[in-house]
Amino acid sequence: MSKKKEVNCEELCPEWECTQPSEYSGIWVVGEIDETEETISEPSLQMLTPANYIASKLGVEVEGLLLGYDKELLEKAAHEMIYHGANRVRILTSNKLKPYIAEVYARIISQIVDKYKPEVVFFPATMKGRELAPYVANTLRAGITADCTQFDVDEKTGDVLMIRPPFAAILLAYIKTPTRRPQIGTARPNVFPKPPRDASRKGEILWEDEKEYKIPRPRTRLVRVEYMKREEIPIEKAEYIVSGGRGVGTLEGFKMLEELAELLGGVVAGSRKAVDLGLIPHDKQVGQTGKAVKAKLYIAVGISGAAQHVVGIRECRVVVAINKDPDAPIFKHADYGIVGDWREIVTELIKALRERTKKAS
Amino acid sequence: MKRPRIVVGIKWVPNTQAVRFDPKTGTLIREGVPSIVNPHDLDAIELALKTREKYGGEIIVVTMAPPGAEEGLRHVIGMGVDRAILVSDRVFAGSDTLATSYTLAKTIERIGRVDLVFFGQETIDSSTAHIPAQVASWLDLPYIYYVESIEKLELKENKVVVKRKLEDRYEWYEVELPVVIGVAMHSNPPRPISLTNKLRAVTEKPIEVWTNKQLGLDPRCIGLRGSPTIVSKVTWQPEIPRKRKIYQGNPKEAVKWLIKHLEEEKVLP
Ligand SMILES: Cc1cc2nc3c(=O)[nH]c(=O)nc-3n(C[C@H](O)[C@H](O)[C@H](O)COP(=O)(O)OP(=O)(O)OC[C@H]3O[C@@H](n4cnc5c(N)ncnc54)[C@H](O)[C@@H]3O)c2cc1C
Ligand SMILES: Cc1cc2nc3c(=O)[nH]c(=O)nc-3n(C[C@H](O)[C@H](O)[C@H](O)COP(=O)(O)OP(=O)(O)OC[C@H]3O[C@@H](n4cnc5c(N)ncnc54)[C@H](O)[C@@H]3O)c2cc1C
Repeated sequence: MSKKKEVNCEELCPEWECTQPSEYSGIWVVGEIDETEETISEPSLQMLTPANYIASKLGVEVEGLLLGYDKELLEKAAHEMIYHGANRVRILTSNKLKPYIAEVYARIISQIVDKYKPEVVFFPATMKGRELAPYVANTLRAGITADCTQFDVDEKTGDVLMIRPPFAAILLAYIKTPTRRPQIGTARPNVFPKPPRDASRKGEILWEDEKEYKIPRPRTRLVRVEYMKREEIPIEKAEYIVSGGRGVGTLEGFKMLEELAELLGGVVAGSRKAVDLGLIPHDKQVGQTGKAVKAKLYIAVGISGAAQHVVGIRECRVVVAINKDPDAPIFKHADYGIVGDWREIVTELIKALRERTKKAS
Repeated sequence: MKRPRIVVGIKWVPNTQAVRFDPKTGTLIREGVPSIVNPHDLDAIELALKTREKYGGEIIVVTMAPPGAEEGLRHVIGMGVDRAILVSDRVFAGSDTLATSYTLAKTIERIGRVDLVFFGQETIDSSTAHIPAQVASWLDLPYIYYVESIEKLELKENKVVVKRKLEDRYEWYEVELPVVIGVAMHSNPPRPISLTNKLRAVTEKPIEVWTNKQLGLDPRCIGLRGSPTIVSKVTWQPEIPRKRKIYQGNPKEAVKWLIKHLEEEKVLP
């Protein structure tokens, strides 16, 4: 790879600290603790997939960064990152980091990044990550690219190409940050698969000393939390999804989809139109402004297959579409399509699956 | 009594819903695609209006955009906001989110005392959700995303209690003022515009236009030069390869066909 041109500090905005890209090296993934599951969050592990890929292309190593207040939990999380491909993990624990406040964490992450100067920093674009990452980027006056679906390396310059689908997921924009480091990128949950877990993998755990960092006084105080009742698996974790669109039309229609989902041991989701019609809550919306899912089997019923919808099913293994319009775009995004009235087909499908389970037992 | 001064940031965006793709030519049909106020920003305007109803004060809307965005500002004036500022100058063209947030932060500074800064959670065109956090960072203010409601505003104590919704929980936070707030999508559906307000929007409220003459920002910090990210290429979203096998005919036979394939794929429970 060719050497980069030096940045001329005179040409830089005086509000930015002048640094040279050549001072930076290595790929970092900022991990997030899933407080309810008490472990590292799945989306954090998924970010190790593009991190490992970029690191191998650049010939550098992958490092994890974890912040929090529970030492044991963080150490367990660090091991998980190592089992999934991180070469080492840095941890900062402090009682002052309880509870999680985005601004406080962002300011400390910025200090740690500024100290060790990785060339790339990845964050999972979970709800918390989407709040955290841009503050870190801004503190460092670094470029940040949101919700990427691919990452690559520009072979000539060594710049990372951050590839994202703006404009309602119709387009794909290749974004790079040629003169500024670190290059910060995020990806939504389930856009990348998690790397395979190998519990024999070894890696270093490095404990950061909290005294070396300025931990800011929180200006935000958590006063109350109320957990929502949840009997079901959230759609982003489900293996089987029956998803309904405007074609299903009614709540009663969605009841039928529920019956099908239950037979499969899965959950019901929907398109944005289904959400707009009040047929399904927004937290079960699949797509660009909803969630990406990674089901083994995704059955799209009465969904036309708009770009903003199908961007959410890229990681599904098998996609089935049921639609009465043979020209519906969803058929181009499906492995198996049935043309016809959804009600007739779903009725038959429920019958057939019932018989199948009866035979098996 | 002290009344809150609320700034709301909005963006004038192409109506991506109306954009169509022409599969024959492989191009985006943008002709006749109108621009609109980013729909998620209307939730922020609505929350500002509710807050003003309860606590009084003033709502100032800000957008950085080409002159055409004036139409969007008229729309929100019609909803009932008090002032509208259009930050418009060719030197701001090509801004990424770092440069955009810098320009917006400097605009807010110039407005003077501000207690609450509201944004929509994200836009429908580039949808980064960066701007609220970045504006907070430039202004050194606390910030919080996904807020659905203002539970209590205590200007004298300099604090506000907000409620927000994450995937699996509601959270209440007490935050020091001033604060930057990302208003959750679909949380505050905008009210219809009354006829009187519509008239006022056309006749009364002047839109202030601020160029870089007023703001006086260093050209190295704005527009393309102030933007570390570069869009180097734009293509169509490639499709994930799928088998695309299609069955058309008797529903019973169709289901048989499907189950056979799903069994071969080993994806049935
Ligand atoms: C910025 C932006 C973000 C968006 N984000 C999302 C998102 O996250 N998720 C999302 O889903 N959409 C999103 N959309 C909306 C998207 O563009 C589509 O409008 C939406 O996905 C369409 O939903 P639908 O397929 O349910 O409805 P429609 O497009 O109306 O399709 C209904 C389908 O049902 C079929 N049908 C009707 N009757 C029957 C029957 N009896 N039997 C079988 N089939 C039948 C029809 O042939 C048709 O194909 C977004 C749009 C924008 C602009
Ligand atoms: C194809 C493409 C991809 C892009 N990708 C990136 C990227 O990954 N990283 C990056 O740094 N920049 C990117 N940009 C530039 C970015 O779109 C602009 O900086 C934009 O003005 C702000 O980003 P947003 O629309 O994502 O706002 P968001 O952060 O999603 O919007 C949040 C809130 O901020 C408000 N807001 C946004 N812009 C303005 C404004 N001009 N005036 C007032 N309020 C505003 C919105 O109305 C909304 O309420 C991209 C641009 C294009 C064309």
